[in-house]
Amino acid sequence: MPIEEAGVGRLAAGVDLSIANRLIFIAVVIVLTFGVFGVRLFQLQVIEGEDLGNRARRNSVRTVHLEAPRGDILDRFGRELATTRPAFGVQVMPAEMRERELTFAALGSLLDQDPAELSEQVGSPRGRRRFQPVRVAKDLPYDSRTRVESHLYALPGVFTDVSPRRYYVGGSLAAHVLGYTGEIQTAQLEKRAFADYRSGDIVGQAGVESRYEEILRGRAGGRNVVVDVAGRVDEVLDEVEATPGGTLVLTIDRDLQQVAEDAFLPDVIGGEEKRGAVVALDPRNGDVLALVSRPSFDPNSFAGGIDSATWKELTESEGRPIQNRAVAGQYPPGSTYKVFVAAAGLEEGAITPEDRVFCPGTFKLGRRTYRCWKRGGHGSVNLHEALARSCDVFFYQLGLKLGIDRIAFFANGFHLGRKTGIALGVESPGLIPTQAWKERRFGEIWLKGETVSASIGQGFNLTTPLQLAVAYAAIANGGTVLKPRILLRHSGPDGTVEQGPEPESLGKVPVSPEHLATITRALEAVVHEPGGTGGRARVPGVRVAGKTGTAQVVHLKETEDLEEDEIPFKFRDHGWFASFAPVEAPEIVVVALAEHGGHGGSAAGPIVQAVLSRYFKSSMPEEPPRQTEPPKPLDPPEAPEEAAHVVRN
Amino acid sequence: MFGIDRRLLQNFDWMLLLLVVAIVGMGIINLASATHVDGELTGEVRRQLISLGIGGVAMLLVLAIDYRHYERFATPALLVCVALLAATLVFAPVTRGSQSWLFGGRLQPSELAKLGLVIALARYFHRNPPSEIRRLRDLMRPGLIVAVPVGLIVMQRDMGVALLTLLISSTYLAFTRIPWRSWVGVAFVGVATLITLWMFVLQPYQQRRILDVIDPGRDPLSSGYQAIQSRIAIGSGGLLGTGYRAGTQTQLRFLPTQHTDFAFSVLAEEWGFVGSCAVLSLYLMLMLWGLRIARNSKDGFGAMLAVGLVGTIFWPLVLNIGMVLGLAPVIGVPLPLFSYGGSALVTSLVGLGLLMNVSMRRYVF
Repeated sequence: MPIEEAGVGRLAAGVDLSIANRLIFIAVVIVLTFGVFGVRLFQLQVIEGEDLGNRARRNSVRTVHLEAPRGDILDRFGRELATTRPAFGVQVMPAEMRERELTFAALGSLLDQDPAELSEQVGSPRGRRRFQPVRVAKDLPYDSRTRVESHLYALPGVFTDVSPRRYYVGGSLAAHVLGYTGEIQTAQLEKRAFADYRSGDIVGQAGVESRYEEILRGRAGGRNVVVDVAGRVDEVLDEVEATPGGTLVLTIDRDLQQVAEDAFLPDVIGGEEKRGAVVALDPRNGDVLALVSRPSFDPNSFAGGIDSATWKELTESEGRPIQNRAVAGQYPPGSTYKVFVAAAGLEEGAITPEDRVFCPGTFKLGRRTYRCWKRGGHGSVNLHEALARSCDVFFYQLGLKLGIDRIAFFANGFHLGRKTGIALGVESPGLIPTQAWKERRFGEIWLKGETVSASIGQGFNLTTPLQLAVAYAAIANGGTVLKPRILLRHSGPDGTVEQGPEPESLGKVPVSPEHLATITRALEAVVHEPGGTGGRARVPGVRVAGKTGTAQVVHLKETEDLEEDEIPFKFRDHGWFASFAPVEAPEIVVVALAEHGGHGGSAAGPIVQAVLSRYFKSSMPEEPPRQTEPPKPLDPPEAPEEAAHVVRN
Repeated sequence: MFGIDRRLLQNFDWMLLLLVVAIVGMGIINLASATHVDGELTGEVRRQLISLGIGGVAMLLVLAIDYRHYERFATPALLVCVALLAATLVFAPVTRGSQSWLFGGRLQPSELAKLGLVIALARYFHRNPPSEIRRLRDLMRPGLIVAVPVGLIVMQRDMGVALLTLLISSTYLAFTRIPWRSWVGVAFVGVATLITLWMFVLQPYQQRRILDVIDPGRDPLSSGYQAIQSRIAIGSGGLLGTGYRAGTQTQLRFLPTQHTDFAFSVLAEEWGFVGSCAVLSLYLMLMLWGLRIARNSKDGFGAMLAVGLVGTIFWPLVLNIGMVLGLAPVIGVPLPLFSYGGSALVTSLVGLGLLMNVSMRRYVF
C-alpha cells in the first residue's frame, strides 16, 4: 500500500460511505439474529410453555447412565481370555423411599446385610441429593437377585440394575499380560488423557487393559427419561445406546500360556511352588506366544473394587504377585550371557572356533582367584565345548581379552540394556555396564576383576527375561532384533478389523550369520551332547538349542560349602534357561527364569521342556477356533507352518 | 493527555453507560438467584461485585487516554498477549481438560487476547482499508495476525474460545470486497479437504474425538442433559415467569452451570418471556448503539475499533443464547456482561470503555 494513500486515509475526517453502508448491513444481520432469538423464545415459553412447565413441576427428568461393555480379549486362535458378564446391582433413591426402617430391614434380610449399615450407607441427604441413587449392592449372586426382584413392589425407592462387569475366563491365566481394570482414580481424572472420563468409570489399570484402553473402552450411552412421582419411567426423551468396546486379538497362545504357568506348580515339576518368569516368542516376527510371571494374581478380584488387605498382599508381600517379572524383573543373566561374549570374541577376532584354553577349575587375576563352577575344571576346551559345558574360565580369559566396553557394544547390539518397547506398560531397561557407566554412577574407575565377573553375566549385569528372549530370538532368526509384539489385530464394534502393528525390526546384531551359526551349533550341543548342561530341556524328535545360566544372589563364599537344599531360600541362586527350536528353522524362543531355583539346567530346564513339548505336540488349538490366523513371518514363509508340525509328530 | 477536557464531559456517552449498567445489574441480580442459599449474599455474588469494581476502575482508566494512542501500542500489546498465551501453555496447570488460566486462576490470557486482537486488527484495517481487499490473498497478512493467537488458544485445548476469537475477527470480513464466487471456492476447497482427511487419513478414534468437540451432545449424560434441563427451565417460565427466586428448576439446581453458561435460562424461567425479551432488547440496543458510534467516529481507526468491540459482545452472545435456546451445540461460552466470571467481566468492561472512548472523542480534534 502506498504511503501517501494511507496518510490520506488517516487524515480524512469521518467514515467513508462504503464503510457506512457495510455498517448498515451489519446492523441488519444483528437485528435478524435477535429476531430469531425472539421467535424461539416465544415458541419455547409461550407456545410450548405450559407443557414444559408441567414437566418442570414434576422435577422428573432423570439421566440413566448406560455403561458400555468392555471389548473382549482373545488369544491368537480366537479363544476368550477376558470377556464381560452382567452384574446385578441394587440402588436406593432416598427421595422415593416410604417407610425407611421397614425398607432397610427388608433389604437387609434380602441381601444378607446389616440393616443399620445399609441405613448409614444411604444416609439422609437433603435437597437435590435426595434424587441421587445410592448403590447398596454391586454384584449380586443370581438367587439374591431374584429374591430382591420379587419384593420390589413392596419397596418403593429400591430398584435393581444390570451393568457389565469384566470377567477373566482363566482366572489368573495370563494375568500379567492382561492386567486388570478398576474404577478410575482421582489422580487419573485430573490428567488430560482421561479428560472424557467421569468418576466411577472403569478403566484398564495395567497390562493390555491399560495399554489398549482406548480400543477396549467403548462409549457409554445414556437415556434421559421422565419419571413419575413413584419413579416409574413415563417417557424416554432421548437415548444414545452404549457402544461396546473393540475386540483385541493377542499374539498369546492360551494353551501354551497355561502350560508355561502350570510348569511352576509343585505337582508338575516336583518340590515347592516356584517363582519366576517365562517368555515365549516367535523369532520370525516377534509375536509373544506366552508371557508368565509367578506368583500371579486373579484380576477378577479387581473388577468390583478390591479391598485394601488384598491389595496390600498383592503389592507388598514378599512374592509381590502384582509385579510382572517377565518385563520388569531385572536379574543377572548369568551364563546365558556367555553367548554374547562369544559373539563378541568371534566377531572381533579375539578367538577362533579352533582356539583352545585350558581350564584347571580356577583362574587367578592379581591376588584373587576366580573359580569355574566345575571344581575339577574342564581341561582343554574350545569355544564350542566351553559353551556346551558352560566353562567359566574360558570366558574369564576371553572377557579380559575383549575388555568390558567391547563386550557391552555387542550386548547392546542384541538390544540388552534397553527397553524392548513391548506394549505392556511398565518395563525395566536392565543394565549393561561400561567403564563410562561406572565412572558416572560411582565416580570410580573400572576394575579388571569386574570384567571377569561380567564375562559370565554376573557383577553389574542385569537383564529382564523378555530382553533375553529378544536377544536369543535374534540369534535364532539370523540376526534381526525384533520388537516383541502382543497385539495381533483388533476390531471395532462395527466389525471392522484392523491389523496390529507389523513386525518391527529394532536393528541388526553386529555379528555375521556365520558366527551366529557357530554359536547355534554350540547351543544345540548344550542340550543334546553328553556333558552339555541343558539336557533337561530335550524334547523327543526336536532339535533344541539352549543355554543354561545361574545368577548368583549372594557371593559364593557364604554358601559355597552348603548343599543347595541347605541354603536359605532367599539366598539361593536364580536359574535361567534360554532356548529356541527347532534348530534348522527356529519357530519358538523360550526363556525361563526360576527365582531362587538353583542351577539353571535343573530349575529352569524342565519349564522350557514343558513349553516346547506342548508347542511341538500341536500348535493348533484343541477346540474349534473363533478366528484363525497363521503366525505371520517377517519374510514370506517357505512352507505352510501347520503342515510342518504335523510331519514332525 | 490525562487532563479532563470539559468537552469530554459534555460528550459523555450516558446512553452507553446506562445500557451497560442495566445489563450488568440484571446479571448480578440473576446471579444472586442462581446461587441463592438461605437468603445470604453468596461468595459468587461478592466476587462478581468485586470484579465489577475492578472492571469499572479499569474502564475509567481506559477512558482517560485518547484512543488514538492505543493505535500506536497495538503491535506491542498484541505481542504481550501472545507471550501471555504462550506462558499459559508452559506454566498453567490443566483444569478440566484445558489449560487457560495464569496466576492461580486470576487471569485468563485468552480473554485479554480477544481485545488485543481487535485493537491490532482495527489498526491494520485502518491503514489498509478493507474496501480495497478484493482478492483472497489480500487476507494473508491480517490472517496471520489472527492465526498466531488462535493457534495458541487451540493448543490450550480451549476450542470454544478459539472459535469465538475466529468469529470476532471475521466481523471485519463484512467490509471486504471479495466476490461471492471466491467464498464459494474457499468453501468448496475446505469441504473437499475435510472430507479427504476424514475418509483417508484420520483413524476412527481421531474421528470420534473431533465429533466430540464439534458436537458434545453426542454424550447425552453431560451436555445433552443440560440442554434438556435448560429447555425445560425456559419453558416453565412461560409468559411472565415464575418470579424471582421462585424458579423450581433453578432453585433445585438442575442445571450444573446455571450461574455461568446457562445463566440466561435462569433469567428466562424466573422472568418469563417478557423478562428475557427485555434483557435481549438491552443487548440489541447496546450493539446498535456501538455501530452508531462506529458510524459517527471521526477517523477510520475509531470506526474499525468500535465495530470489532461490537463483535466481542455479539459473537459470544450468539453462541450462548443459541446454546441455551437449543439452536446451537453446547459449547461452554458464557454470556458477556451477564454470566458469572470475573476475568470475562473485567475484559468486557475494558472493551466497552474503549467503545465509550471512541464515542466521547468523536468531536475532539
